[in-house]
Amino acid sequence: MKPSIIMVGADKGGVGKTTCSRVILDYLDAHEIVTRAFDTEYPRGTLYRFHPHVTTIVDITSTADQMKILDTLNTADVKVSVIDVRAGGLSIALQALAETGFLDAVHAGEYEFMIFHVLGSSIASLDEIEEIAPYVEDAYYFLVKNHVNDTSFFEWDPVTHRRYFEKVRTAGELTIPKLNEMSYEQVEIAGTPFSSFVGDRTSDGRVANHSFVLRGYVRTWLNRIADEFDRIELLDLLKGRGKHSKAGR
Amino acid sequence: MRRGANVFILCSPDARVGVSTTARLLTDYHLYSGVRVEGFDTDPHEPHYGDRFSDYVNVVDAAEIKGQIALFDRLLADDETPKIVDVWHRVFSRFFSTVQEIGFFEEARRRNLAPIILYHAAPTETALAGARALSASWPEVEMLIVQNEGAAPLGSHPWDTLRHYPANGKFVIPALEGPVAKILDAPSLSLSGFLRAPPTDMSIVVRAALKGWITPIFTQFNSFEMRQELRSSLYLS
Repeated sequence: MKPSIIMVGADKGGVGKTTCSRVILDYLDAHEIVTRAFDTEYPRGTLYRFHPHVTTIVDITSTADQMKILDTLNTADVKVSVIDVRAGGLSIALQALAETGFLDAVHAGEYEFMIFHVLGSSIASLDEIEEIAPYVEDAYYFLVKNHVNDTSFFEWDPVTHRRYFEKVRTAGELTIPKLNEMSYEQVEIAGTPFSSFVGDRTSDGRVANHSFVLRGYVRTWLNRIADEFDRIELLDLLKGRGKHSKAGR
Repeated sequence: MRRGANVFILCSPDARVGVSTTARLLTDYHLYSGVRVEGFDTDPHEPHYGDRFSDYVNVVDAAEIKGQIALFDRLLADDETPKIVDVWHRVFSRFFSTVQEIGFFEEARRRNLAPIILYHAAPTETALAGARALSASWPEVEMLIVQNEGAAPLGSHPWDTLRHYPANGKFVIPALEGPVAKILDAPSLSLSGFLRAPPTDMSIVVRAALKGWITPIFTQFNSFEMRQELRSSLYLS
Protein backbone atom coordinates (compact mmCIF):
# COMPACT_ATOMS: atom_id res chain seq x y z
CA MET A 1 0.00 0.00 0.00
CA LYS A 2 1.33 3.40 -0.99
CA PRO A 3 1.15 6.21 1.57
CA SER A 4 -2.19 7.93 1.08
CA ILE A 5 -3.74 11.21 2.05
CA ILE A 6 -7.48 11.55 2.33
CA MET A 7 -8.42 15.19 2.50
CA VAL A 8 -11.88 16.18 3.69
CA GLY A 9 -12.91 19.74 3.18
CA ALA A 10 -15.40 22.37 2.21
CA ASP A 11 -15.16 26.09 1.82
CA LYS A 12 -18.29 26.49 3.92
CA GLY A 13 -18.77 25.71 7.58
CA GLY A 14 -21.60 23.62 8.96
CA VAL A 15 -21.86 21.24 6.02
CA GLY A 16 -20.81 18.16 7.96
CA LYS A 17 -17.15 18.06 7.03
CA THR A 18 -15.90 16.77 10.38
CA THR A 19 -18.75 14.24 10.43
CA CYS A 20 -17.41 12.96 7.12
CA SER A 21 -13.87 12.70 8.55
CA ARG A 22 -15.20 10.88 11.59
CA VAL A 23 -17.07 8.29 9.56
CA ILE A 24 -14.01 7.72 7.38
CA LEU A 25 -11.92 7.07 10.50
CA ASP A 26 -14.58 4.70 11.84
CA TYR A 27 -14.80 2.86 8.51
CA LEU A 28 -11.05 2.42 8.19
CA ASP A 29 -10.78 1.35 11.82
CA ALA A 30 -13.52 -1.25 11.27
CA HIS A 31 -11.41 -2.64 8.41
CA GLU A 32 -8.29 -2.62 10.59
CA ILE A 33 -6.53 0.02 8.53
CA VAL A 34 -4.41 1.97 10.94
CA THR A 35 -4.92 5.65 10.25
CA ARG A 36 -3.69 8.94 11.59
CA ALA A 37 -5.58 12.19 11.33
CA PHE A 38 -4.72 15.86 11.15
CA ASP A 39 -7.21 18.44 12.26
CA THR A 40 -6.55 21.83 10.72
CA GLU A 41 -9.09 23.62 12.87
CA TYR A 42 -6.17 25.27 14.63
CA PRO A 43 -5.83 25.77 17.63
CA ARG A 44 -8.99 23.91 18.78
CA GLY A 45 -9.83 20.84 16.78
CA THR A 46 -13.31 19.33 16.53
CA LEU A 47 -12.05 16.08 15.05
CA TYR A 48 -9.49 15.89 17.83
CA ARG A 49 -12.30 15.91 20.38
CA PHE A 50 -13.73 12.67 18.98
CA HIS A 51 -10.54 10.88 17.92
CA PRO A 52 -7.85 12.26 20.25
CA HIS A 53 -5.65 9.14 20.11
CA VAL A 54 -5.01 9.37 16.38
CA THR A 55 -5.43 13.07 15.73
CA THR A 56 -2.92 15.90 15.71
CA ILE A 57 -4.01 19.52 15.44
CA VAL A 58 -2.02 21.35 12.78
CA ASP A 59 -1.89 24.66 10.98
CA ILE A 60 -1.57 23.49 7.40
CA THR A 61 -0.20 26.84 6.26
CA SER A 62 2.77 26.64 8.61
CA THR A 63 5.90 25.00 7.28
CA ALA A 64 6.54 23.12 10.51
CA ASP A 65 3.14 21.49 10.42
CA GLN A 66 3.34 20.75 6.69
CA MET A 67 6.53 18.86 7.53
CA LYS A 68 4.69 16.95 10.25
CA ILE A 69 2.24 15.70 7.68
CA LEU A 70 4.21 15.29 4.50
CA ASP A 71 7.73 14.47 5.60
CA THR A 72 6.45 11.56 7.64
CA LEU A 73 4.34 9.99 4.89
CA ASN A 74 7.11 7.61 3.86
CA THR A 75 8.54 6.94 7.27
CA ALA A 76 5.46 6.52 9.42
CA ASP A 77 4.11 3.01 10.05
CA VAL A 78 0.66 4.40 9.46
CA LYS A 79 0.07 4.57 5.73
CA VAL A 80 -3.22 6.46 5.63
CA SER A 81 -3.52 10.06 6.77
CA VAL A 82 -6.85 11.84 6.97
CA ILE A 83 -6.71 15.62 6.88
CA ASP A 84 -9.81 17.38 8.13
CA VAL A 85 -9.55 20.84 6.60
CA ARG A 86 -11.14 23.62 8.56
CA ALA A 87 -14.12 25.47 7.09
CA GLY A 88 -13.11 27.81 4.30
CA GLY A 89 -9.65 26.29 4.03
CA LEU A 90 -9.93 23.73 1.24
CA SER A 91 -8.52 25.90 -1.52
CA ILE A 92 -5.78 27.19 0.79
CA ALA A 93 -4.87 23.68 1.91
CA LEU A 94 -4.71 22.42 -1.67
CA GLN A 95 -2.60 25.39 -2.66
CA ALA A 96 -0.25 24.67 0.24
CA LEU A 97 0.06 21.04 -0.87
CA ALA A 98 0.77 22.19 -4.41
CA GLU A 99 3.51 24.54 -3.22
CA THR A 100 5.23 21.83 -1.19
CA GLY A 101 5.44 19.62 -4.26
CA PHE A 102 3.07 17.02 -2.84
CA LEU A 103 0.73 17.18 -5.83
CA ASP A 104 3.70 16.62 -8.16
CA ALA A 105 4.64 13.57 -6.12
CA VAL A 106 1.08 12.30 -6.47
CA HIS A 107 1.34 12.87 -10.20
CA ALA A 108 4.54 10.84 -10.23
CA GLY A 109 2.72 8.00 -8.50
CA GLU A 110 4.50 8.22 -5.14
CA TYR A 111 1.30 8.69 -3.15
CA GLU A 112 -2.42 8.18 -3.43
CA PHE A 113 -4.51 11.28 -2.91
CA MET A 114 -8.23 11.42 -2.29
CA ILE A 115 -10.41 14.42 -1.75
CA PHE A 116 -13.83 14.26 -0.20
CA HIS A 117 -15.39 17.61 -0.98
CA VAL A 118 -18.39 18.11 1.27
CA LEU A 119 -21.00 20.26 -0.40
CA GLY A 120 -23.36 22.70 1.20
CA SER A 121 -26.65 23.91 -0.14
CA SER A 122 -25.57 27.33 -1.39
CA ILE A 123 -24.44 28.36 -4.85
CA ALA A 124 -21.20 29.60 -3.22
CA SER A 125 -20.60 26.11 -1.99
CA LEU A 126 -21.10 24.72 -5.48
CA ASP A 127 -18.77 27.35 -6.93
CA GLU A 128 -15.94 25.79 -4.92
CA ILE A 129 -16.03 22.82 -7.26
CA GLU A 130 -14.69 24.98 -10.08
CA GLU A 131 -12.26 26.82 -7.80
CA ILE A 132 -10.39 23.75 -6.69
CA ALA A 133 -10.44 21.99 -10.04
CA PRO A 134 -6.80 22.91 -10.92
CA TYR A 135 -5.53 21.10 -7.84
CA VAL A 136 -7.37 17.83 -8.11
CA GLU A 137 -6.29 16.42 -11.46
CA ASP A 138 -4.36 13.52 -9.98
CA ALA A 139 -6.67 12.92 -7.09
CA TYR A 140 -9.63 10.66 -6.63
CA TYR A 141 -12.03 13.51 -6.19
CA PHE A 142 -15.39 12.69 -4.60
CA LEU A 143 -18.27 15.05 -4.05
CA VAL A 144 -20.00 14.37 -0.78
CA LYS A 145 -23.65 15.16 -0.32
CA ASN A 146 -24.24 15.28 3.39
CA HIS A 147 -27.93 15.00 4.15
CA VAL A 148 -27.49 15.57 7.88
CA ASN A 149 -28.98 19.02 7.33
CA ASP A 150 -31.74 17.90 4.96
CA THR A 151 -29.99 19.63 2.09
CA SER A 152 -31.42 18.94 -1.37
CA PHE A 153 -28.36 20.04 -3.39
CA PHE A 154 -30.53 21.76 -5.96
CA GLU A 155 -31.97 18.46 -7.14
CA TRP A 156 -35.27 20.34 -7.40
CA ASP A 157 -33.64 22.73 -9.89
CA PRO A 158 -32.41 20.64 -12.85
CA VAL A 159 -30.59 23.50 -14.55
CA THR A 160 -28.48 24.39 -11.52
CA HIS A 161 -28.01 20.74 -10.68
CA ARG A 162 -26.74 19.94 -14.18
CA ARG A 163 -24.50 22.97 -14.27
CA TYR A 164 -22.48 21.81 -11.29
CA PHE A 165 -22.89 18.10 -10.97
CA GLU A 166 -22.83 16.92 -14.56
CA LYS A 167 -19.98 19.02 -15.87
CA VAL A 168 -17.43 18.36 -13.18
CA ARG A 169 -15.21 15.33 -13.66
CA THR A 170 -15.07 13.41 -10.43
CA ALA A 171 -14.44 9.90 -9.23
CA GLY A 172 -18.03 9.86 -8.08
CA GLU A 173 -20.48 11.10 -5.53
CA LEU A 174 -20.94 9.92 -1.99
CA THR A 175 -24.10 10.34 0.02
CA ILE A 176 -24.15 10.65 3.78
CA PRO A 177 -27.73 9.97 4.87
CA LYS A 178 -29.56 11.87 7.55
CA LEU A 179 -29.18 10.85 11.17
CA ASN A 180 -31.95 11.99 13.49
CA GLU A 181 -31.07 14.98 15.66
CA MET A 182 -31.35 13.26 19.01
CA SER A 183 -28.94 10.47 18.07
CA TYR A 184 -26.50 12.95 16.57
CA GLU A 185 -26.64 15.18 19.64
CA GLN A 186 -26.08 12.27 22.01
CA VAL A 187 -22.93 11.28 20.15
CA GLU A 188 -21.82 14.92 20.34
CA ILE A 189 -22.37 14.91 24.09
CA ALA A 190 -20.62 11.56 24.47
CA GLY A 191 -17.60 12.98 22.59
CA THR A 192 -16.62 9.55 21.25
CA PRO A 193 -16.23 8.05 17.79
CA PHE A 194 -19.56 6.88 16.32
CA SER A 195 -18.37 3.27 16.56
CA SER A 196 -17.68 3.64 20.32
CA PHE A 197 -21.15 5.06 20.80
CA VAL A 198 -22.63 2.08 18.95
CA GLY A 199 -20.53 -0.25 21.08
CA ASP A 200 -21.82 1.53 24.22
CA ARG A 201 -18.37 2.65 25.32
CA THR A 202 -17.08 5.87 26.80
CA SER A 203 -13.96 7.54 25.46
CA ASP A 204 -11.87 5.64 28.02
CA GLY A 205 -13.44 2.28 27.18
CA ARG A 206 -15.91 1.89 30.04
CA VAL A 207 -19.54 0.81 29.56
CA ALA A 208 -21.51 3.96 28.80
CA ASN A 209 -25.18 2.93 29.13
CA HIS A 210 -26.29 4.85 26.08
CA SER A 211 -29.85 4.30 24.88
CA PHE A 212 -30.14 1.15 22.76
CA VAL A 213 -32.56 2.96 20.47
CA LEU A 214 -30.09 5.74 19.74
CA ARG A 215 -27.23 3.28 19.33
CA GLY A 216 -29.39 1.33 16.91
CA TYR A 217 -30.08 4.40 14.82
CA VAL A 218 -26.38 5.32 14.75
CA ARG A 219 -25.38 1.74 13.87
CA THR A 220 -27.81 1.62 10.95
CA TRP A 221 -26.65 5.04 9.77
CA LEU A 222 -22.98 3.99 9.96
CA ASN A 223 -23.77 0.81 8.05
CA ARG A 224 -25.41 2.82 5.28
CA ILE A 225 -22.35 5.03 5.02
CA ALA A 226 -20.11 1.96 5.03
CA ASP A 227 -22.17 0.69 2.08
CA GLU A 228 -21.36 3.96 0.33
CA PHE A 229 -17.63 3.54 1.00
CA ASP A 230 -17.88 -0.04 -0.25
CA ARG A 231 -19.65 1.21 -3.35
CA ILE A 232 -16.85 3.65 -4.20
CA GLU A 233 -14.32 0.91 -3.33
CA LEU A 234 -12.48 3.09 -0.85
CA LEU A 235 -10.32 0.23 0.42
CA ASP A 236 -9.33 -0.78 -3.09
CA LEU A 237 -8.44 2.80 -3.94
CA LEU A 238 -6.18 2.96 -0.90
CA LYS A 239 -4.54 -0.26 -2.03
CA GLY A 240 -4.05 1.17 -5.51
CA ARG A 241 -6.46 -1.16 -7.30
CA GLY A 242 -9.64 0.86 -7.58
CA LYS A 243 -11.56 1.16 -10.82
CA HIS A 244 -12.45 4.84 -10.43
CA SER A 245 -10.79 7.38 -12.63
CA LYS A 246 -8.92 10.34 -11.28
CA ALA A 247 -10.30 13.80 -11.79
CA GLY A 248 -8.01 14.81 -14.64
CA ARG A 249 -8.09 11.51 -16.57
CA MET B 1 -28.61 -20.41 29.84
CA ARG B 2 -31.46 -18.83 31.78
CA ARG B 3 -34.47 -18.00 29.64
CA GLY B 4 -35.21 -14.29 29.82
CA ALA B 5 -38.58 -12.63 30.27
CA ASN B 6 -41.23 -12.71 27.58
CA VAL B 7 -41.77 -9.59 25.53
CA PHE B 8 -45.26 -9.78 24.05
CA ILE B 9 -45.89 -7.56 21.05
CA LEU B 10 -49.62 -7.36 20.35
CA CYS B 11 -50.44 -5.94 16.98
CA SER B 12 -52.45 -5.68 13.80
CA PRO B 13 -52.50 -3.17 10.97
CA ASP B 14 -56.30 -3.18 11.25
CA ALA B 15 -58.34 -1.24 13.79
CA ARG B 16 -60.81 -2.77 16.24
CA VAL B 17 -59.59 -6.34 16.11
CA GLY B 18 -59.16 -6.73 19.88
CA VAL B 19 -55.49 -5.85 20.42
CA SER B 20 -56.15 -3.83 23.60
CA THR B 21 -58.47 -6.57 24.86
CA THR B 22 -55.69 -9.13 24.56
CA ALA B 23 -53.29 -6.72 26.26
CA ARG B 24 -55.76 -6.40 29.10
CA LEU B 25 -56.30 -10.15 29.39
CA LEU B 26 -52.59 -10.89 29.32
CA THR B 27 -51.87 -8.24 31.95
CA ASP B 28 -54.65 -9.54 34.20
CA TYR B 29 -53.45 -13.10 33.67
CA HIS B 30 -50.00 -12.19 34.99
CA LEU B 31 -51.38 -10.15 37.87
CA TYR B 32 -53.72 -12.99 38.80
CA SER B 33 -50.72 -15.33 38.75
CA GLY B 34 -48.86 -12.96 41.08
CA VAL B 35 -46.40 -11.86 38.40
CA ARG B 36 -45.70 -8.16 37.99
CA VAL B 37 -45.72 -7.00 34.39
CA GLU B 38 -44.78 -3.83 32.59
CA GLY B 39 -47.09 -2.72 29.82
CA PHE B 40 -46.81 -0.14 27.05
CA ASP B 41 -49.67 1.55 25.29
CA THR B 42 -48.56 3.12 22.01
CA ASP B 43 -51.75 5.09 21.45
CA PRO B 44 -50.93 8.45 23.07
CA HIS B 45 -54.33 9.90 22.13
CA GLU B 46 -56.75 7.35 23.55
CA PRO B 47 -54.70 5.02 25.72
CA HIS B 48 -57.46 2.63 26.84
CA TYR B 49 -54.97 0.00 27.93
CA GLY B 50 -52.81 2.56 29.72
CA ASP B 51 -55.77 4.12 31.49
CA ARG B 52 -56.96 0.76 32.76
CA PHE B 53 -53.62 -0.21 34.31
CA SER B 54 -52.13 3.13 35.24
CA ASP B 55 -49.80 1.49 37.79
CA TYR B 56 -48.35 -0.96 35.33
CA VAL B 57 -48.61 0.55 31.87
CA ASN B 58 -46.61 3.38 30.32
CA VAL B 59 -48.16 5.42 27.54
CA VAL B 60 -45.58 6.11 24.83
CA ASP B 61 -45.58 7.79 21.45
CA ALA B 62 -43.77 5.27 19.26
CA ALA B 63 -43.59 7.77 16.41
CA GLU B 64 -41.27 10.02 18.46
CA ILE B 65 -37.70 9.14 19.34
CA LYS B 66 -38.21 9.97 23.01
CA GLY B 67 -41.13 7.54 23.06
CA GLN B 68 -39.07 4.92 21.28
CA ILE B 69 -36.35 5.24 23.92
CA ALA B 70 -38.95 4.92 26.71
CA LEU B 71 -40.31 1.83 25.01
CA PHE B 72 -37.48 -0.18 23.49
CA ASP B 73 -34.83 0.54 26.11
CA ARG B 74 -37.25 -0.70 28.77
CA LEU B 75 -38.18 -3.78 26.75
CA LEU B 76 -34.52 -4.77 26.74
CA ALA B 77 -34.07 -4.27 30.49
CA ASP B 78 -32.83 -7.42 32.14
CA ASP B 79 -35.24 -7.39 35.10
CA GLU B 80 -37.17 -10.64 34.54
CA THR B 81 -40.41 -8.66 34.23
CA PRO B 82 -42.62 -9.78 31.34
CA LYS B 83 -43.39 -6.90 29.01
CA ILE B 84 -46.59 -6.34 27.05
CA VAL B 85 -46.77 -3.89 24.16
CA ASP B 86 -50.14 -2.82 22.77
CA VAL B 87 -49.21 -1.59 19.28
CA TRP B 88 -51.75 0.94 18.08
CA HIS B 89 -52.80 0.13 14.51
CA ARG B 90 -51.84 3.62 13.35
CA VAL B 91 -48.20 3.12 14.38
CA PHE B 92 -47.99 -0.50 13.17
CA SER B 93 -45.68 0.28 10.23
CA ARG B 94 -43.61 2.83 12.11
CA PHE B 95 -43.23 0.47 15.06
CA PHE B 96 -41.82 -2.36 12.97
CA SER B 97 -39.67 -0.10 10.81
CA THR B 98 -38.10 1.17 14.05
CA VAL B 99 -37.69 -2.42 15.25
CA GLN B 100 -35.84 -3.14 12.03
CA GLU B 101 -33.75 0.01 12.02
CA ILE B 102 -32.48 -0.36 15.58
CA GLY B 103 -32.11 -4.15 15.37
CA PHE B 104 -34.45 -4.76 18.30
CA PHE B 105 -35.16 -8.47 17.77
CA GLU B 106 -31.50 -9.26 17.22
CA GLU B 107 -30.56 -7.46 20.43
CA ALA B 108 -33.40 -9.15 22.35
CA ARG B 109 -32.10 -12.54 21.25
CA ARG B 110 -28.56 -11.55 22.24
CA ARG B 111 -29.88 -10.69 25.71
CA ASN B 112 -31.74 -13.99 25.85
CA LEU B 113 -35.15 -12.32 25.95
CA ALA B 114 -38.11 -13.95 24.25
CA PRO B 115 -39.99 -11.61 21.94
CA ILE B 116 -43.36 -13.04 20.90
CA ILE B 117 -45.60 -11.42 18.32
CA LEU B 118 -49.29 -11.87 19.03
CA TYR B 119 -50.71 -11.03 15.64
CA HIS B 120 -54.44 -10.37 15.54
CA ALA B 121 -56.11 -12.01 12.57
CA ALA B 122 -58.83 -10.26 10.58
CA PRO B 123 -60.71 -11.13 7.40
CA THR B 124 -58.78 -8.53 5.38
CA GLU B 125 -55.95 -8.63 2.86
CA THR B 126 -54.07 -6.03 4.91
CA ALA B 127 -54.03 -8.26 7.96
CA LEU B 128 -52.75 -11.29 6.06
CA ALA B 129 -50.14 -9.25 4.18
CA GLY B 130 -48.92 -7.74 7.46
CA ALA B 131 -48.49 -11.16 9.06
CA ARG B 132 -46.61 -12.49 6.05
CA ALA B 133 -44.34 -9.44 5.97
CA LEU B 134 -43.45 -9.82 9.65
CA SER B 135 -42.80 -13.51 9.27
CA ALA B 136 -40.61 -12.92 6.21
CA SER B 137 -38.63 -10.19 7.96
CA TRP B 138 -38.11 -12.09 11.22
CA PRO B 139 -38.66 -15.82 10.60
CA GLU B 140 -36.89 -16.67 13.84
CA VAL B 141 -39.29 -14.63 16.00
CA GLU B 142 -42.18 -16.60 17.47
CA MET B 143 -45.49 -15.41 16.09
CA LEU B 144 -48.87 -16.56 17.34
CA ILE B 145 -52.20 -15.65 15.87
CA VAL B 146 -54.92 -14.23 18.07
CA GLN B 147 -58.39 -14.99 16.82
CA ASN B 148 -60.82 -12.70 18.57
CA GLU B 149 -64.20 -14.16 17.70
CA GLY B 150 -66.04 -11.13 19.00
CA ALA B 151 -64.00 -8.20 17.65
CA ALA B 152 -62.84 -9.72 14.35
CA PRO B 153 -65.06 -12.66 13.38
CA LEU B 154 -63.63 -14.74 10.54
CA GLY B 155 -66.97 -16.10 9.31
CA SER B 156 -68.31 -19.60 9.46
CA HIS B 157 -65.04 -21.21 8.32
CA PRO B 158 -62.28 -19.39 10.22
CA TRP B 159 -59.80 -22.13 9.35
CA ASP B 160 -59.98 -21.09 5.70
CA THR B 161 -58.60 -17.71 6.70
CA LEU B 162 -56.24 -18.83 9.44
CA ARG B 163 -54.46 -21.50 7.39
CA HIS B 164 -52.90 -18.78 5.24
CA TYR B 165 -51.28 -17.10 8.24
CA PRO B 166 -47.68 -17.96 9.04
CA ALA B 167 -47.76 -18.75 12.76
CA ASN B 168 -46.45 -21.03 15.46
CA GLY B 169 -49.81 -21.33 17.21
CA LYS B 170 -52.91 -19.40 18.11
CA PHE B 171 -54.96 -18.03 20.96
CA VAL B 172 -58.71 -17.88 20.67
CA ILE B 173 -60.62 -15.14 22.46
CA PRO B 174 -64.27 -16.23 22.38
CA ALA B 175 -67.07 -13.78 21.75
CA LEU B 176 -69.02 -12.51 24.74
CA GLU B 177 -72.74 -11.95 24.72
CA GLY B 178 -73.85 -8.31 24.54
CA PRO B 179 -74.83 -7.64 28.16
CA VAL B 180 -71.71 -9.33 29.53
CA ALA B 181 -69.49 -7.58 27.00
CA LYS B 182 -70.91 -4.27 28.21
CA ILE B 183 -69.87 -5.03 31.78
CA LEU B 184 -66.40 -5.84 30.57
CA ASP B 185 -66.06 -2.21 29.45
CA ALA B 186 -66.60 -0.83 32.95
CA PRO B 187 -63.41 1.08 33.85
CA SER B 188 -63.46 -0.22 37.41
CA LEU B 189 -63.65 -3.91 36.45
CA SER B 190 -60.38 -5.71 37.04
CA LEU B 191 -60.42 -9.24 35.65
CA SER B 192 -57.77 -10.48 38.06
CA GLY B 193 -59.69 -8.87 40.93
CA PHE B 194 -62.89 -10.43 39.64
CA LEU B 195 -61.38 -13.91 39.65
CA ARG B 196 -60.08 -13.47 43.19
CA ALA B 197 -63.29 -12.02 44.58
CA PRO B 198 -66.25 -11.58 42.22
CA PRO B 199 -68.24 -8.47 43.15
CA THR B 200 -71.27 -9.47 45.19
CA ASP B 201 -73.44 -6.87 43.52
CA MET B 202 -72.87 -8.46 40.10
CA SER B 203 -75.58 -10.69 38.66
CA ILE B 204 -74.81 -14.35 39.26
CA VAL B 205 -75.53 -15.06 35.60
CA VAL B 206 -73.07 -12.42 34.47
CA ARG B 207 -70.50 -13.68 36.96
CA ALA B 208 -70.79 -17.20 35.58
CA ALA B 209 -70.61 -16.00 31.98
CA LEU B 210 -67.59 -13.81 32.66
CA LYS B 211 -65.77 -16.56 34.53
CA GLY B 212 -66.64 -18.98 31.74
CA TRP B 213 -65.11 -16.55 29.27
CA ILE B 214 -61.93 -15.71 31.19
CA THR B 215 -60.98 -19.18 32.38
CA PRO B 216 -60.33 -20.84 28.99
CA ILE B 217 -58.36 -17.79 27.87
CA PHE B 218 -56.15 -17.89 30.94
CA THR B 219 -55.76 -21.62 30.43
CA GLN B 220 -54.41 -20.95 26.94
CA PHE B 221 -51.91 -18.43 28.34
CA ASN B 222 -50.91 -20.92 31.00
CA SER B 223 -50.48 -23.72 28.43
CA PHE B 224 -48.31 -21.45 26.33
CA GLU B 225 -46.06 -20.70 29.31
CA MET B 226 -45.81 -24.39 30.14
CA ARG B 227 -44.86 -25.20 26.56
CA GLN B 228 -42.18 -22.53 26.76
CA GLU B 229 -40.85 -24.05 29.98
CA LEU B 230 -40.75 -27.49 28.39
CA ARG B 231 -38.97 -26.18 25.32
CA SER B 232 -36.30 -24.50 27.40
CA SER B 233 -35.85 -27.45 29.74
CA LEU B 234 -32.27 -28.67 29.83
CA TYR B 235 -33.37 -32.24 30.31
CA LEU B 236 -35.62 -32.43 27.29
CA SER B 237 -33.39 -30.79 24.73
